[in-house]
Amino acid sequence: MPDTAGKALPLQDDKKKTDKRMTLHDAVAAYVQDGGSIVFSGMGGAQCVAHAYEIIRQKKKGLTLIGDSPCDAGDMLMGAGVLKRAELAWCGYAVAGLGPNYRRIVEKKIPHEMELIDYSNYTIGLRLMAGAMGLPFLPTRSLLGSDLMTYNKDIKQMDDPYTGEPVALVPAVHPDVALIHCSRADIHGNAQIFGFTANAENAARAAKRCIITCEEIVDTDVIRQHAHATCIPGYAVDAVVHLPFACHPWNFPYDYAYDIPFHGEQTRAFKTREGFLAWLDEWCFGTKDHEEYLDKVGRERLAKLKDIEQKFCPKHW
Amino acid sequence: MEIKHAPEYTPTELMIVISAREIEDGDLVFAGVGNPTLGALLARMTHAPSSLIATESGCIGPSPKRIMLGIGDNAGLENCIAVGSLWRLFSDQQRGFVDIGMVGGAQIDRFGNLNSTAIFGEGDYFTPAARLPGSGGANDIANCAKRTVISIPLERRRFLEKVDYITSPGFLTGGDARAKAGLPGGGPSAVITDKCIFRFHPETKEMMLVSVHPGTTVEDVQQQVPWKLLLADEVTVTPAPTAEEVAMIRALDEDGIYTGTGLKTLTFDRYIEMLERSLAQFSE
Repeated sequence: MPDTAGKALPLQDDKKKTDKRMTLHDAVAAYVQDGGSIVFSGMGGAQCVAHAYEIIRQKKKGLTLIGDSPCDAGDMLMGAGVLKRAELAWCGYAVAGLGPNYRRIVEKKIPHEMELIDYSNYTIGLRLMAGAMGLPFLPTRSLLGSDLMTYNKDIKQMDDPYTGEPVALVPAVHPDVALIHCSRADIHGNAQIFGFTANAENAARAAKRCIITCEEIVDTDVIRQHAHATCIPGYAVDAVVHLPFACHPWNFPYDYAYDIPFHGEQTRAFKTREGFLAWLDEWCFGTKDHEEYLDKVGRERLAKLKDIEQKFCPKHW
Repeated sequence: MEIKHAPEYTPTELMIVISAREIEDGDLVFAGVGNPTLGALLARMTHAPSSLIATESGCIGPSPKRIMLGIGDNAGLENCIAVGSLWRLFSDQQRGFVDIGMVGGAQIDRFGNLNSTAIFGEGDYFTPAARLPGSGGANDIANCAKRTVISIPLERRRFLEKVDYITSPGFLTGGDARAKAGLPGGGPSAVITDKCIFRFHPETKEMMLVSVHPGTTVEDVQQQVPWKLLLADEVTVTPAPTAEEVAMIRALDEDGIYTGTGLKTLTFDRYIEMLERSLAQFSE
């Protein structure tokens, strides 16, 4: 049984604070503890890139990553030596290529050995949902017949007690910290996502602590005008961080387009271990925080990504 | 009306066209990253205008004016009918709403079982010769979509008696093994390669050669497959793409990000220009 699975963990007191605003540095320093477990929002886009850089900048160690399909937030954390364990469905850069650090850590144990547990996207989603529901596990028809069940001993098979048909069971997960990027939030943490949510709403609730980051901080009255878009209410949130362009080079719906040429350059640099470490020196340790990273990318470039997105998918609220 | 075939096309373009032809009008299509999304977009622009594309991030029924650069790209929610969550969309699939899922892999066996997890080589699952990205949503799609269409190049290192790891079940050991294991979806209906198309025998569920692409012979195919090929009663020649189909693919992927090596040389300014041109072209 993984140490991240099992009984619902007690909720934390910071969720009752009124003004939850923090910097990314302070939120990561306060809540992401060495040896703990983390989960990020995003799926094939809208990735938590600024968050991953900050965790690396603070030289966190021995973390367990729970994720459906993390890209930079999986591959870079592995290469930086942050993770001791990962429970994942997928890791890579999709159109921009495979995850070179993911390959090195599994194939060659560089920079060190990491325990890896394979799931599928839906079943990571079900584990977070079980966690968010306060239930010990959920059944599914995924996984049956595959080798995910052969090598992952936390997946169980049983006969449905009502029909006798086989089902697979996946255990609930309660990460220590969820880092969730949203379109906008108020200072209490009422968070709205106007694009796809993937597993964000359940990751936020399953975790012990939830850090909301957002493109924009707005008044609660503004939140009330589009209440259907509130996927995470403030009662599930510990910290709110204003973090524009948090997903660069990835896209964020209704905000900015995918900077795929940048990603192409990045994954080419990652092909060798030396190239990856040089990239970290330049883009992670060479910048004090996310604002400096954005300065380095170039404000004009970012503005173009925002402008072009507004031509395809204008903000409708 | 006379069909005008494309004077020239690449094997990748032909694979995209064939995957598009597998989509029927009205289908809910679960499309992964890469060529299958181009195939699904092409189907919508040609014979299947009422088909709906779904991407794993939770976007349903987009009608984008640009190429989709991934399963969570903003193009996935451009003019879409619904945007929601991953768990809801996959639950809809488990409930039986998804008609067709597009999947791929690095290895395949004669019953259509796919490996996209690891190539063991001299090692094993824990220390493989090559670690691949993993299931993502492929296992879920393979188990629960009503039918799946597999895209994979025809190469001897990919077509194996036994795959190293079953990420996405096909028909398992054949016959009724799939239903017995509790998998609700219908399994693979076609395997599209750069040389030919396979379907599956209705009873034994063994892979069966049904057509060869122009310029390929049955013997060419047999050379790349380690088991004795099962042939359909009549092995046909795959119809070549039409001029219109190839033109649409090239308009969608003008810089060859999917269909060529365009990403290697793509500059930021060219990329923004490409998006502007795509917007103008599909707004007409």
